Amino acid sequence: MIIAEWKPIPELVRKLSGHRRILLAGCACCVAECAAGGEREVETLAPLLRLALSVEGHPLEIVTRTVERQCEWEFVEELAEIIPKVEAVLSLACGIGVQAVAERFPEITVFPGVNTTSLALREEPGLWTARCQACGDCVLGETFGLCPVARCAKSLQNGPCGGTRKNGKCELDENVDCVWNLIVERAAKRGQLESLLRIREPKNWSNSFHGGPQRMLREDLRP
Amino acid sequence: MKLRAGSRLERVLAAGHFAVTVEVGPPQGPDAEVIRRKAELLRGLADAYNVTDNQTAVVRMSSIAGARLLLEAGLEPVMQMTCRDRNRIALQSDLLGASALGIKNCLCLSGDHQKASASGKLKGHPGAKNVYDVDSIQLLAILKGLRDQAVQSSGDPIEQPSPFFIGAAWTPLATPEAFRTLRLAKKIEAGADFIQTQAVFDVPRFAAAVAKARAMGLCDRVAILAGIIVPRSARMLRYLNERVPGVEVPEDLIRRMEAAPQPATEGKRIAKETIKAVRVIPGIRGVHLQAIENEAVLPEIIHSADLLPRPEVKM
Amino acid sequence: MAPRTETAGEKTAETFKPEIVVLYCQHCVVQDADLTIAMKATSRFRAKLVMMPCTGKIEPSHLLKILAHGADGIQVLGCPYQQCHRLDGNLRAEKRIEYTRQLLHQIRMGPERLGMERGLDFSGLQLMLLAERRADAVKPLGPNPMKGERE
Repeated sequence: MIIAEWKPIPELVRKLSGHRRILLAGCACCVAECAAGGEREVETLAPLLRLALSVEGHPLEIVTRTVERQCEWEFVEELAEIIPKVEAVLSLACGIGVQAVAERFPEITVFPGVNTTSLALREEPGLWTARCQACGDCVLGETFGLCPVARCAKSLQNGPCGGTRKNGKCELDENVDCVWNLIVERAAKRGQLESLLRIREPKNWSNSFHGGPQRMLREDLRP
Repeated sequence: MKLRAGSRLERVLAAGHFAVTVEVGPPQGPDAEVIRRKAELLRGLADAYNVTDNQTAVVRMSSIAGARLLLEAGLEPVMQMTCRDRNRIALQSDLLGASALGIKNCLCLSGDHQKASASGKLKGHPGAKNVYDVDSIQLLAILKGLRDQAVQSSGDPIEQPSPFFIGAAWTPLATPEAFRTLRLAKKIEAGADFIQTQAVFDVPRFAAAVAKARAMGLCDRVAILAGIIVPRSARMLRYLNERVPGVEVPEDLIRRMEAAPQPATEGKRIAKETIKAVRVIPGIRGVHLQAIENEAVLPEIIHSADLLPRPEVKM
Repeated sequence: MAPRTETAGEKTAETFKPEIVVLYCQHCVVQDADLTIAMKATSRFRAKLVMMPCTGKIEPSHLLKILAHGADGIQVLGCPYQQCHRLDGNLRAEKRIEYTRQLLHQIRMGPERLGMERGLDFSGLQLMLLAERRADAVKPLGPNPMKGERE
């Protein structure tokens, strides 16, 4: 799931201070899953922002609308009837959705209301941990299903480094497991520790953002 | 045995002497005199001098510049190189440059994450983008390729081989302990010629780890130098024990420092005892002393630990 | 319009009669509680009593909308720990209320405008006393700036 979190409220208040009527656009997909931009969060943020701007002395009217996905043109289209009635859009979608709205409605300012931060798994209610970095060169088959790119701060391919704490956590964050410790543990449990002795070559990063803005084309699916 | 780079450190080890290396921290500024002054202080005390590479991700004069300045002062440097700030292109470029400048020893590390730079009074650069294009083991292999096959990581050739005496770090007591010796084997396979370990305080546990390495035949393939940190206080020992992964300080050592009327003196005593103790561990071929902004104590320690004079070797 | 501070307002401290909304769990009041008591005039505050099936039903959006409608404060009353009829509704309420208080703090509205108490067998009068305590906490903050913009 793409994970995002609200931008700091003071930052949003500053951005919106010059406006009188905006559309707060939610998305019922990833950002709803991580409780940042779904309908529930739209219904929370709208009164919150109105209160905040009232306190600042800049009363703001907020029109709310949550669409299925802001990364789909047909759903973005649903906003077309509202756009002429507002001065700006505050979108709670991830960066993809914000851009889709901005591209479809280039005549209006579209602000992001969230910071998109990672691709994560919801381990438990209220806890999401990043699991994927979209590196374009997946090695999960060789690391026993544990990603060293996303879950190691140094993205080590031949870890662990010397920074594993006694309790198996990473020296950088006591809440984060040293993923290489987990990989070693899992390998040992399966009796396949030897597979970790193979030296893994430097990664090819070019199949992801490092190779340039990514573009995927499938001729068989083109209209 | 054919020498790989012919550095002084390599020759000392090849001749069977117990080697001494010492860490030199570059300044947080552009003043070459700082390095020169440290060189004067430490001249003759070690076989080679490590220059750190933005340790703890704090900006300091570069290790390649520090290494060159040491060379010019007549000391042999060990250039430390981390993977945090430079990709494989920059790393290889700096390695070629290092060779051109006469630097022959290189210690390959993954490097502290930039989060570590914001600590104490320092704001650091925790918001910087890191690189970690390759890791320390891949870097070892890169150096080996440049040296033995005159080839880059890509497979493209370089015009002449770039000779290095290749070093790596070892933290034998960090979790998962059982894997640490296997990872040492990996580092040797990748290209490590010498090892500098994390600081030793618990000698028996360290000796047990070295014994495992010996049993795997690793001590014949690589020269292990035991890391020594000179403690200054019980608080420092406690900090090292609790906050630095892989540093294990026995409780009675901490109590000994607490009871000492002069902790600084006691710390020097502890360092000397540790040097003496690791010297007799089979497989340990030297010591690597880290003074952590306290290089002034090193002359006394090295002298009273019976490590002087440093051997004469033909260069 | 000039920004309002939290203590200034069009009404002076004496004339400001805070409007408090009391969200109470149905299980917290006695069966024959006199809930019409809220209709009777009080000189120092006004209260609106709203019965909830469980405080676990309360969401931050509800609380913020109540404030956006001009209420000066909200008092939540839930069952004591481990006595929720729906297992942990009162615990969820506590978390959401704490979350909302933090949001109110971030926007400089004053977290004191919102609070949660726990108890059983409340009479109508006791509900009003709760409301009065919340009103007292809210008084120094002044009236809700949204009052002028209430839809």
